[in-house]
Amino acid sequence: MEDESNPVYKNQAYGQFRELFYSYGSNGTFEKRVGFHDESDRVTLQQAWDLFNERIEDARLKVKSGKASPILYYMEKTLVTPMDLSMHAGIMVWRVKRHLKPKVFNRLHENTLKKYAEAFNITIEQLKNVD
Amino acid sequence: MEKENIIIDYKHRQAGHCESGATSNLFNFHGVEMSEPMAFGIGNGLFFSYLPFLKLQYAPMMSFRNLPNTVFHRSTKYLGVDATVIKNFKEPKESMAALDRNLEKGIPTGLQVGVFNLTFFPPEYRMHYNMHNLVAFGKEGDNYWVSDTVMELPQRISSEDLQRVRWAKGVFAPKGKMYWINTINNNMDVKSAVERAIKKTVYEMLKVPFPLNGVKGIHWLAKDLKKWPKKHGNETASFYLGQIIRMSEDFGTGGAGFRYIYGAFLKETGEKFNNPELIAASVMMGNVANHWREFTYLSARNCKNRSKPEEDYGKLSNMLHEIAGMEKEVYQKLDKIKI
Repeated sequence: MEDESNPVYKNQAYGQFRELFYSYGSNGTFEKRVGFHDESDRVTLQQAWDLFNERIEDARLKVKSGKASPILYYMEKTLVTPMDLSMHAGIMVWRVKRHLKPKVFNRLHENTLKKYAEAFNITIEQLKNVD
Repeated sequence: MEKENIIIDYKHRQAGHCESGATSNLFNFHGVEMSEPMAFGIGNGLFFSYLPFLKLQYAPMMSFRNLPNTVFHRSTKYLGVDATVIKNFKEPKESMAALDRNLEKGIPTGLQVGVFNLTFFPPEYRMHYNMHNLVAFGKEGDNYWVSDTVMELPQRISSEDLQRVRWAKGVFAPKGKMYWINTINNNMDVKSAVERAIKKTVYEMLKVPFPLNGVKGIHWLAKDLKKWPKKHGNETASFYLGQIIRMSEDFGTGGAGFRYIYGAFLKETGEKFNNPELIAASVMMGNVANHWREFTYLSARNCKNRSKPEEDYGKLSNMLHEIAGMEKEVYQKLDKIKI
């Protein structure tokens, strides 16, 4: 546990909250202290976010070049797999996977789009356009 | 009764672990002094399981704690406290109405929520994790006052947002689960509760006949860890290694995958019942926890330098085997202790 905040994170909003940690001293006492995470913990968390951001960027480029539907981008952005998304939106997995194709996505019914938009917590307009 | 302001006089204390923090705060509200480690220990929170066939955020899933709501359920059961748990509602509106009714009666109510859409939560933790707990203790207009023990201060959240997190979907979906304490009689039998809880923990860590649970699970993880770089390549291996550390250190565990908290519990009970054996066990648990920390420091170097690992995976695997051996000794010692 350290006193300073945020030397590892790339996003400045990260690592601004102090948490409570326990520790064990050699004299047999357990201590409580409020502070920031150790560097080793931050490294692993940043590693996870690096991977997520990479995947989001990949998905964005794919959608822009017309190789995938916007659902792929929003799926990566909300950090879910097709399996999770099927649970969140209430649509079967094989259908979710099929909807990742732009051709199929363009033919989708309004109701299905609404289900996806609700699962991603956005409007249908936003779902159709990727920035 | 819509626009009335209710704020219950509920004391928020920060804690290492969300659910045992909420449980101990609820006990304190009803006038029974209970520390966080005590709630965690009696509630049987310590556990280990490794589930390589399930993926959590693209890496194998492992857990250092018991299933959600175990801590509250078991601590109230063992202590003989009159508590209510409503497991699931049919309708989101119904669950919010039930919460409002409770607040009007002046009962602070524990809720299981998903983390991803929780507005005040640290952004670095916002992943799909549905086993978080917080306590609602007030309503002001359209906003609720909640005490989240990860945060330093009580927070405000709008009712729309609260409903969304209470109905987060996915694995372990909360489905609006809520729990509260009705009444506590003052002469609780803490001693027998502690005895039962320790027995149960020892059973879960040593004797469950399933190879991915408890101490056996740590050995299995150590065996797998050795194979990762060959099987998946260095990048993925380091990401998987990072998953162990994220689960044991980052997500509100109080450090070393709850081992520090459990050690503190053993020490507190040892002092309470004047039992030198329990204090000796707490020293052993403290050493185990320090070993977990050391494992974290060494593995984090591999995560920093992803394509060229600095530490040998074989060495890390041996270290995990050693930790598992040490933990086994602690539980075997606990098994023999009579309180």
